[in-house]
Amino acid sequence: MGEFEVHRVRFFGLVPAGVRCLAWQPRSARLALARTDGTVEIYNFAANYFQEKVIPGHDARSVEALCWAGADRLFGAGLGGAVTEYDLARLGTSCSVDGGGGPIWSMAANGSGTRLVIGCEDGSIKLFQVVPGGIQFERNLDRRKGRILCLSWHPSDSHIAAGSIDILRVLDVCSGQTVQRIMVNYHVQKVQRECVVWSVVFLASSTIVTSDSFGRVQFWDWQQGTLVESHTVSTSSALSLAVSEKEDSIIVGTSTGATYQLQLLPVRVGSLEKRWVRTKPFQHHTHDVRAVVHSGTALISGGLDAQLVIRSLMEKVQKKGYEAALRKFTFPHRRLVSCARKARLLLFQFTQHLELWRLGSTDKTGKDGEVLPLRSMPEHLVQLKSKGPEHIYCSCVSPCGSWIAYSTASRFHLYRLQYEGDSISIAKVPKVPKLLLPAYQLQFAADSGSLFVASAQGAVHILQLLEPGGCKHLHTLRPPSETPEAIYLLAVSADGHWVAAVGGDWAIHVYSLKCFKHHCTVPTYSCAVTALAIHPVTNNLVIAYADQQLFEFSIPEQQYTAWSRMVQNCGLHRLWLERDTHITHITFNPKNPSHILLHDVYMFCVLDKSLPLPDNSALLLNQSTLKQLPETARQRQLHAFKICKKFQPLLFADLLDENCLVVVERPVMDIKTQLPLPVQQKKFGT
Amino acid sequence: MGAMARRRKAAAAGKRGPPATLLSPASSEDEAPEEVSFGVAREAAETERKLVGEAARRHRELLKEKRRRRQELFAEQKRQKLLPEAVLQELAAAPPGRDDEQAAAMNTGELCEGGAAKQSKGKAQRLVKKDVQRKGARSKGNYMAVRLKDQTLENLHQQLARDFLSTHLYGPGTNRVGANEFFSLENKKNPVRKAAVQFVDKSWGQEKKLKAARFKQRWLATQIKKQV
Repeated sequence: MGEFEVHRVRFFGLVPAGVRCLAWQPRSARLALARTDGTVEIYNFAANYFQEKVIPGHDARSVEALCWAGADRLFGAGLGGAVTEYDLARLGTSCSVDGGGGPIWSMAANGSGTRLVIGCEDGSIKLFQVVPGGIQFERNLDRRKGRILCLSWHPSDSHIAAGSIDILRVLDVCSGQTVQRIMVNYHVQKVQRECVVWSVVFLASSTIVTSDSFGRVQFWDWQQGTLVESHTVSTSSALSLAVSEKEDSIIVGTSTGATYQLQLLPVRVGSLEKRWVRTKPFQHHTHDVRAVVHSGTALISGGLDAQLVIRSLMEKVQKKGYEAALRKFTFPHRRLVSCARKARLLLFQFTQHLELWRLGSTDKTGKDGEVLPLRSMPEHLVQLKSKGPEHIYCSCVSPCGSWIAYSTASRFHLYRLQYEGDSISIAKVPKVPKLLLPAYQLQFAADSGSLFVASAQGAVHILQLLEPGGCKHLHTLRPPSETPEAIYLLAVSADGHWVAAVGGDWAIHVYSLKCFKHHCTVPTYSCAVTALAIHPVTNNLVIAYADQQLFEFSIPEQQYTAWSRMVQNCGLHRLWLERDTHITHITFNPKNPSHILLHDVYMFCVLDKSLPLPDNSALLLNQSTLKQLPETARQRQLHAFKICKKFQPLLFADLLDENCLVVVERPVMDIKTQLPLPVQQKKFGT
Repeated sequence: MGAMARRRKAAAAGKRGPPATLLSPASSEDEAPEEVSFGVAREAAETERKLVGEAARRHRELLKEKRRRRQELFAEQKRQKLLPEAVLQELAAAPPGRDDEQAAAMNTGELCEGGAAKQSKGKAQRLVKKDVQRKGARSKGNYMAVRLKDQTLENLHQQLARDFLSTHLYGPGTNRVGANEFFSLENKKNPVRKAAVQFVDKSWGQEKKLKAARFKQRWLATQIKKQV
């Protein structure tokens, strides 16, 4: 595998925000997810659950409800009181309409996606029409006292169910009047606390399902106003509810982090009478599950422990295998760390600030596996707070460590750092060129002489950095055909001749920097690109796709390399293809051109192109067995993938020099101790 | 005899406290005790007692007078703060409770202008009342100065909504525990036992510091008392 001196970094204090709401779009198999800090993410289930789009949050724009209207229009609403439409090509907000009823708790779109209904703090329920380019207020429905916490349309779009505190109401959409009012606690004697109806689902039959703060899932006949069934699933609140399209299965999320499935099953085998039965409990989360979604084949839940869990329903999948495996996502599928190799600095990106650290150093050497004592401790050099309510889109530090750039939705900042002995001075570069903002990705050239800014509509801006602390706009690279999608990944060659850019349409364009011209487009492979990098010696572009495929494309020759064709012919190892996290960073060893270094959240891999590929019968993770073998046998067992799983969960790994590696870990337990308090759970025998 | 009487008086005074230290007991040490008749001695003691009683009474009266004067001053200040006499009488004549209604009506009127909801009436009233008190220009201990510009109705509603969420999810009765307790079992049952997930509780340091500061104050106070 090769020996490295490893800087094992654990001082990146990233705490991902909890999942607040989910919205499922079955037509394009995409899941929209909103976090408690207002970030909205899009997961593409067709592209191996890749988080393909991230819209950073805004302090004044919390998201309490998300919904898809029509095929690909996403709306969000929150306690700020406005309904916002998201622009998924430019990764921002496209329009925002004030609801006019105070903070918005809930929102739902009707089946055809032509109307939106919102429930407000002041008890009003407002109907909006979805029109091209935005939404238009249509009418107010009957307003009563009490905040509307949840809403659901009848599948025929004729009625709306609205859950409030202690009360469930059914409104007629045509007349706007309340046609039924159900006190959810009417039949309970001596109620001490108020009962919050957290979630409601309107079924096609005249049944309404509610989940409330008493931990009950209740089925109501809304025409009669009577309780049909009541299941107490939890001692704490039942916060979220979702139903399958066929309306034969319901998933409930509770405060204790458990989710339960309820199924409509015949009372006896062959009998026509059916009842709802609580069938499966799942405990995938430690914290409150505030959002659940029932897709055709899976139960999807998002908790305040920042986890998105996708659990396939075994009875719904065709063949049991890798596709049906449980998926858990905690970390973002993109890099939040950048590294200044020469200066040995790390830049960490948080939602609203950046941290610059200097790595520790040692003068000792040791054997494999030994922990070396530090001569100088890692040092926190700079904390840069972004002003204003906007969250940071991207950030980067230059390889020499003397430039830092970051971008928010409306502003782009460039800083010049100067080191004098132990002291450090930071100066903002004045008069940065006015670019098309936001920037989605920033990348410094290897010689720190220019900065590449990924922008909307497939454009890449090149800024020339001037000493001492200045910059000017050099050129803008544009793809040959117009695209609305923003660039989300950049790769620059070490010799400064090439830059490769990937947009939201997954097309990879390569530009020549000598003549600022479009050079070529990599043949389209219909999957999302998760990482790419240009080899410093051969100028081969290495591309990792969301379906775990690896390609190598020769830029000078404008075609896939022989090695890449060989990989496609032989196929990758089964276990490699079945990994469930994506490669987020690729780097190279300049001393050993045949090595490609890649990592995902659970492994770090040195891919040696000079060795044969393993076939499915070979052991993929063979490093520990290789160590025990004698030299001659070892030579026979060697294969291209040298995988190390020692560092987990891995957020970043990069090579500082030929035998020095930096890895950034974030132990899950460290995150869990900083999350909001969980509900106590009594365990038997304690 | 006179000397003896003086000595006795001194002894009596010594029992009473501080003035005794001012007298020097040295002068009569080498003299033999004088004979004093019982009647004279009693007389002396009685006058002495009377004198002391008188002094105590005068002190009490002085205190009473002082208190009365302060009371008057307060009353005077209060009158200055209040509305003119005529208005006060008119108010007293009016039936009780009407006043509050008027104020409420006025407040909601204001709110409606701002395009607000009835929901937050109670809270809004409180805000307006605070404002009225602030206009009085005399801010007492428990009030905080805030810019009205920041306290828009939207912010207020949003705060209310957040409060609702936090009381229902994290408020009393929701049975929440800290991370240490929550993960303690997992740590204990793990094949490799671990320490508590959160080793340093940062609130501890603060608590201890507060305690130390309080202790120091108390200690200083007792030291000063002792010296006096």
